[in-house]
Amino acid sequence: MIGLDVGSTAAKMVWIESGGLKFRITSTHNWKELVEGIDGDEIISTGYFRNSVPHRASLTELTAAIYGVRHYFPDAEVIVDIGGQDTKVIDVRNNNFIINDKCSAGTGAFLEFVANYFKIELNELGSMHAMAKRIPDINNTCGVFALSEMISQLVGGYSKEEVIAGMHYAFARRISYMIPQAHKVVLIGGTVKNEGMVAALMDVLNIDVLIPDEPQIINALGALKYYS
Amino acid sequence: MPVKKIGITALVPPELIFSCGVTPFDVNNVIPASRKYPGNKLCAWTAIWKDMLVKKEIEVDSLVVVAGGDCHNALVDGQKAAMSGIPTHFFFYPFDGDPEYLGSQLHRLSLFLGGIKSPEKFKEIGELKKQGQLLDKKRCSGKLSSSEAFRILISFSDLAGDLAGFSMIISDLQEKDIEVRNRVALIGVPPIFHDFHETAQSLDLQIVFDELPYEFIRHGGSNIQEIAVNYCGYTFARPLEFRIDFLKNELKRRRVDGVIHYTQFACHHMLEDEVLREKLDYPMLTIQGDLPGNTPQQVKLRLEAFREMLDRQ
Repeated sequence: MIGLDVGSTAAKMVWIESGGLKFRITSTHNWKELVEGIDGDEIISTGYFRNSVPHRASLTELTAAIYGVRHYFPDAEVIVDIGGQDTKVIDVRNNNFIINDKCSAGTGAFLEFVANYFKIELNELGSMHAMAKRIPDINNTCGVFALSEMISQLVGGYSKEEVIAGMHYAFARRISYMIPQAHKVVLIGGTVKNEGMVAALMDVLNIDVLIPDEPQIINALGALKYYS
Repeated sequence: MPVKKIGITALVPPELIFSCGVTPFDVNNVIPASRKYPGNKLCAWTAIWKDMLVKKEIEVDSLVVVAGGDCHNALVDGQKAAMSGIPTHFFFYPFDGDPEYLGSQLHRLSLFLGGIKSPEKFKEIGELKKQGQLLDKKRCSGKLSSSEAFRILISFSDLAGDLAGFSMIISDLQEKDIEVRNRVALIGVPPIFHDFHETAQSLDLQIVFDELPYEFIRHGGSNIQEIAVNYCGYTFARPLEFRIDFLKNELKRRRVDGVIHYTQFACHHMLEDEVLREKLDYPMLTIQGDLPGNTPQQVKLRLEAFREMLDRQ
């Protein structure tokens, strides 16, 4: 049996082999490569495309996130799943959830805009953030207008690294409003691999957060766990 | 001479309208399937009926706008419709539930409509509303699907403008045998998505309570004085605590497992969400709609996740 999470930007597959967890990640449009030779009856699917891929059973990424996170952190209170097109916050304590998907400012797509503007890879944002000496204020919560503000800060003399750090803080403030007070907050999703964004979020929330070793596969793992 | 068609923008006692020898037409009922995208808007509900009235895509002889104790956007959009030349009357419910005040509003409305000519309509509509309450009971026990129940109950605001025809529609309904699991209440204004109930049903969520349509079938009376007393219980017009007390009883009576609070973009009801979440002790899903059409994928995801959450309870 495998867990398959086909999200808005990436497809992730998880399976258990010799008692250990194995996984593969590819871009969404290449999801078929992941399941080549695998019978649909062996697949538990989740993610945006959960019902478009062959599957034995499917579940939403919200439920998958709960089961996946419990594997690593059984006493997690709040899960923040920062995906390519939305951010989901699940309060495990009372089975409540909120999804932000009407605005790009709290999604991976927002940080993609930033990387594209600077003509750098998405995964370089974190290391550039670490080089910032000052953090400019970028207050606009609209992704498009935040980009205009970012350009103004560059004109005003801030370095590329500092402006990137400022954008991470703008992002963190945007999603912090969705996160209820809790001691055990777990971050998952591909965007969580950006250390700069995580540092900004911890600073804004003023708490330590928990992050699984491979935060991008948690929902695929959760799908597998849910039906195991 | 053809019977005059009176546009109504929210709950206006249909007993009074029919008894004045004119027929009501709820301008909201055409919106979910309209595919209209208004330019300058806050709430799409009022913006669309205003646009359609001004452009004569909805043709009425005159308009009654519920402007007090319900929708505040309607007060402005109703005036815009009035400025286009439609004879318009503004109707106000009392926030404090004063039946004397509502009585005076109903008298003024009856004068606008030309005075009471067929008082027997009060009783006739009362009988139809009894049938509506029976349908509401049937959907709670799975003898009627929630989508069919909603389609009929929502039409009680204007009784489709045809009492005999509407009665036949009710009589023609076939009983079903539906397994009612995941009993949910739908509170707030009705969703602007035309297939919302079917969508919820397909995701194994059975709506056993539609808050606003229930208001359409539970008030009545045999004359102005009686309806003035009775319609003072219209919860949307009253303080939030009054509505919450009413909701608590209904949710308990219908043994709901969870509550879906539909909020319309730019509607003042959005501000009530946090209070309802605090006061109603049920799992609650808040969704928001803006423009009419099919239920969007993002909303379907939330509904499905809510169903999974209820399964885990």
